[in-house]
Amino acid sequence: MAAAALRPAILRRIRLSPSPAAAAGAAAASQPHALARWLARPMSSHDAHLTRDEVVDRLLDVLKCHPKVDPSKVSPEAHFEKDLGLDSLDTVEVVMAIEEEFKLEIPDQEADKIDSLPLAIEYVANHPMAA
Amino acid sequence: MAVAPTRAEALSLFRSLLRTARQFSDYNIREYTRRRTVDAFRENRVLGDAVAAAAAFADGKKQLEVAKRQAVVYSLYAPKAKSIMEMKLQ
Repeated sequence: MAAAALRPAILRRIRLSPSPAAAAGAAAASQPHALARWLARPMSSHDAHLTRDEVVDRLLDVLKCHPKVDPSKVSPEAHFEKDLGLDSLDTVEVVMAIEEEFKLEIPDQEADKIDSLPLAIEYVANHPMAA
Repeated sequence: MAVAPTRAEALSLFRSLLRTARQFSDYNIREYTRRRTVDAFRENRVLGDAVAAAAAFADGKKQLEVAKRQAVVYSLYAPKAKSIMEMKLQ
């Protein structure tokens, strides 16, 4: 009884400020991407995830450095076989080079599907371990 | 009866060999294994005959086992200094 009476008095005295984490959560909730980043941060060992532009730039460089690719034909929409004139063996080599560049290990089933730059960009940009 | 490997099987062997090649600590051996893999697959891609393709595939699988074993053995004797080819140019 006494406690119940005391409670409003105490609450009036103490003004709780929201904790920093709760504030960050509230701020993040207003932007869905920021929320995802905020949730991923404690699980992640590196500071910043790669931006899409960075992924595109580095992928274009990997392609341009490949001996069989004509650097002038490389564009973010290029298809390995149709636009760049690579065959299936070259495609495997290119995907391996991409793995090395971003320090990834792409499983065979996934690697078989990557046959164009848009797909490669998509895969690397969405990969949580790409570095 | 020899059955020619499918395209997917051949590409999978190719990828496995390249992955194994990457594990060698010595630059020269790493590059040699990679180059040898690429050259052999290029050379044999025209094999139309099922028997010859199956023989080449079987040989490739044997070489993969050799490469895997040797990658482990060589890792015990990894060179202490890097090859000059691995150094980044200033």
